[in-house]
Parts: sequence; structure tokens; C-alpha cells
Amino acid sequence: MKAFVRIHALAMNTFREAIRNKLLYTLLGFGILMIGAGVLLATLSYVEVDEILQDTGMSAIRFFSAGIAIFVGIGLIHNEVDRRTIFTILSKPVSRSEFLVGKWAGLTLTVWLQLALMGLAFGAVSAVVGAPLAFDHVVAIALVGLELMVLVAIATFFSAFTTPILAALFTIGLWMIGHLSRDLRALGEQSDLGSVTTATEILFAVMPDFEVFNKTLEAVHGLAISMAEIQLAIVYALAYTVCTLVLGSMIFSRRDFK
Amino acid sequence: MTAEGHGVIRVDNVVKDFRPGLGLRRKRVLHGVTFEVQEGEVFGFVGPNGAGKTTTLKILMGLIRASEGSASILGCDVGESEFRNRIGFLPENPYFYPFLTAREILDFYARLSGVEASGRAKRVCELLEMVNLSHAADARLRTFSKGMLQRVGVAQALINDPAIVFFDEPMSGLDPIGRKEIRDVILSLREAGKTVFMTTHILHDVEMTCDRVAIIVKGEIRYEGGIEDFLPDSTVPTDVVLAHLPSDVAAEMEERLDIELRGLGERVELTVPEKKVRDVLAAALEAGAEVVSVTPHRNSLEEVFLNAVHEGEKQS
Repeated sequence: MKAFVRIHALAMNTFREAIRNKLLYTLLGFGILMIGAGVLLATLSYVEVDEILQDTGMSAIRFFSAGIAIFVGIGLIHNEVDRRTIFTILSKPVSRSEFLVGKWAGLTLTVWLQLALMGLAFGAVSAVVGAPLAFDHVVAIALVGLELMVLVAIATFFSAFTTPILAALFTIGLWMIGHLSRDLRALGEQSDLGSVTTATEILFAVMPDFEVFNKTLEAVHGLAISMAEIQLAIVYALAYTVCTLVLGSMIFSRRDFK
Repeated sequence: MTAEGHGVIRVDNVVKDFRPGLGLRRKRVLHGVTFEVQEGEVFGFVGPNGAGKTTTLKILMGLIRASEGSASILGCDVGESEFRNRIGFLPENPYFYPFLTAREILDFYARLSGVEASGRAKRVCELLEMVNLSHAADARLRTFSKGMLQRVGVAQALINDPAIVFFDEPMSGLDPIGRKEIRDVILSLREAGKTVFMTTHILHDVEMTCDRVAIIVKGEIRYEGGIEDFLPDSTVPTDVVLAHLPSDVAAEMEERLDIELRGLGERVELTVPEKKVRDVLAAALEAGAEVVSVTPHRNSLEEVFLNAVHEGEKQS
């Protein structure tokens, strides 16, 4: 219970700090602008106007939310060390794991809040132009929320032991790989070399698979998102987040703060 | 109290190596540091810049790990975190989230320290009152001066009513009023029976507040002892220089006080035990003489400190 109070305090403090980050508002602004710009893009086509509008909107949500998660997340720990606020925090009965989890929870809350705002903008634009809105749109956006949860965990992981620039590069790299890992595995399966197939299988197992959260196509084209897919996404997000944070805590607990 | 006696802080043969980078030789900054702090004392950890004071303190705070040796606080290994609800820490030049108010930051640290929700607001108010920040309780920390931030730092260190308080250079960069305020806090903590561990290189502050002192130079403890070693002692000799002392009074003083006067023109110099200084001065003043100087021969902390630094430099 005491650990929960500490993590909650750290998370809320991280949230309060993150919502003061100007970068967050810049990316959020661009995201909402892009969602609105879907209206213009849709006018370029005579067919599937609603689909183009919503596809652009969902893509903007995923892209700019990821940007916020990465660029706010990479400085999470570094800023605390750089400003030495971590000294007073870790002198309290706060374990390094609690600190890491608190930072992750605070930023996840922040990106979920901005996701909700972008979701509202998406809904508003769709409603204004008369594009169909269904519960699957909400599900698809909620799954983006799970993707962001994992992405924040990865950003927190790298932030725990490296510089913001390297953390950004690594996190962006993993985000891109995470959206291509299924293609990589498919390529490996077609290889004549067993070692290549094995290597891509291992890579697929270790690297995040962000496509498990990508239900844009289904939502935009009115295809059903099954409960099994939702459950898989939830379990996958929780498992990957926990593993990443545990590994991050192990590295972070060995770190010296000079 | 720990299982073995009253040593509430124990540092045993601690070594710390830093690796500057890949391929570079490691740098040893602590060479087997050993000392113990007793319950209820104010302990000054003194050394020049770069001596290893803050590194030792960071090891005690669990911010860095010792390469060798062990350190414990209240009988618990410094790598643990649960016992930290019984200690407080003020880092050097503390920095706090500028977007929070003084009340909010103290509430934040109270939550981290495990202060019960029912008494949290009251405790925050008490501490704001104690560090004279009640008037600025709801102002953002970005508007605070360095001295005010230092007082917030003191308040957060005391939020959990700790048994041991660690101060890293608490008077650094403060004006005389700020220094006195921090000194008063330390003295009040001593009166309350708390143990205080303080790193500093301001010797005057050590002499005024500490019970015991350790001097660290280039990562090695060069001196450890009680502050009473530097305080006036009735047996230590004291040089007194007097002017215009009538010769008959001088002869009478030599005979009565069993001392030898050395002539310096119009002035005379004499060396007496400190306990006789009062008598000599009274007799001289009564005879119309002028007191030029009174210099006790005791070792000052500054002398011991400078000797320790000098020895450290010779050996390195």
C-alpha cells in the first residue's frame, strides 16, 4: 500500500511536469491539425471519402501520439538526474523500481490524456463531415493507447541508462521495427537459410509487435474487431510493458548518480 | 540504536572507483574510508573540494554504490530503501520542481516518506513555520531565492521527523543570515537528540555546530576526533603582549604568577597557562598597561585541516 502511495505521488508529479512540456502541445496541435487536414485530403478523391478522412485521422493520432510518447519520455529520467531532483527522491524510502514505474505511469497518463483529446478531435471532424462513427473506432483508439503504454515503457527503459539523444534513436528504431516485425518474420520464413528464419523468429519474439494494436483498417472500413484480438492486445501490452520495466529497473538499480 | 553499540552510521573500508569512459583507466576517489557516527552527535565531514565528501555521502544515500567495503545506517545496508523513512537528506544546492509551490513540494515528499495522510497537512504547515516560509507557502518555487530554496530543502529533509539528518554543504552560497538560520536548525536538531551528518569545507561552521569531525583529503580520512580538541583548554599556553607595563608591576607579576617576561622595547611578552590569563590581564590593566594581544597556542581546526591537506598532497 505504501509503495502504491509513493508510485502514485511520483506518477502525478510526472504528469504535472509533462503537461507543462511545450513539445507536447506542439505535437498535439500538429496531430489535431492533421486530423482536420483529412477533410482536405478526402476532397481529392471521389470514392471512399470517409475512409480517406478517417484513415488520415487515425494515422495522425498514431504518429503524433507516438511522437509525444517518445520525445517526452526520453527525457524522463535524464532530467531528474540532470537537475538532481532524483537525489532527494531516492533519499526517501523509494526504491528505484518504484521511481521508474512512477515515471512510466505518469507519462502513460499524459499520453492517454492527449490521445483522448485527439480522439475527440477525430470524432468531431468525422461528425462534422458526416463520416460514420462506430464503437470500433473507440476500440481502435483504445488499442493505440495500449501501444503508447508499451512505447512509453520502452522510452523509460532507454531513459534509465542513456542520454536523451540515444534514447530517442533507440526508441524510434524500436517503434519502426515494431511496425515492421511481422514483415521481417514473413521475409525470414521465405528464406532458404534456416538460420535466417530462426534469427527473424527470435527477433520477432524479442522486438515489440506494434501491429497487434493497429486496428485502423478494421475501424475505418467497418470490419469487426474480435474480442480475441482485443484480449491478445491487452495481454501482449501488459506482458511487454512489465518485462521492459523489470529489465529497466534491473539496469537502473545498478546506476551511479555522480 | 543498532545491534552493536550506538554507531548509527558506519562506513567500513569503503573504496570507490569511477570509470571515466570506455578504454580509460578507472579513477579511485575513495581509498578505504572508515568512520563511525554515534547516536545523537553532530558529525562534521570536512575536506577540500574534490576530497570525496559528497561521494561518501552519495554512497550513504544509496545514490552510488561502493566498489568495495560496506556502509550502513541504523544497522541497515545503504542499498536498502525502507529504512530511509528514518533519515533525511539535504543535497548541495538543492533543486526542486519549479512549477510546484512550497506546500505542494513538501506534500509530495511527505507522501514519498510515508507520512500518514491524516497528519500530512499539519506536518507541512509545521515545517513551513519552522523554516520561516509560511508567508510563501503557496508561491511557486521558481520565484524563490537561493536561501528560500535551501530552507525548503531543510524542510523536506525533516518531513518525516528523521532520526538522522544528512546535510551536504548546507551553508554553501548562503548569506550570513541564511547561514545562521541553517546553523540554528542544526543546533535545534542536536537539542532534540537527532544525529546530524554534515559535509562542509567551512571550518567556522564546524567549530560552531559539530561534536566530532573527520577530515578527508584525496579520498582518505586524515583526522578524526572530537571538536573539544580545538576548544580552549585551561592548560594550553597563551601568549600575552602588553605595552606600557610599569617595571615594578612587571617584577611583582613575575614573582607572584611564576612567569617570565620578555622585553620588547615598550612592550613585554609573556607566556602563561590559559587559566592564569585572567589574572595577568587584571593586574596589567590595573597598573595602567595596555593589552596588545592575547594568543592561545591551541591547535585550531584550520591548522589541523591545513596540515591534513598538506600531508595528503605530499603523499600523492
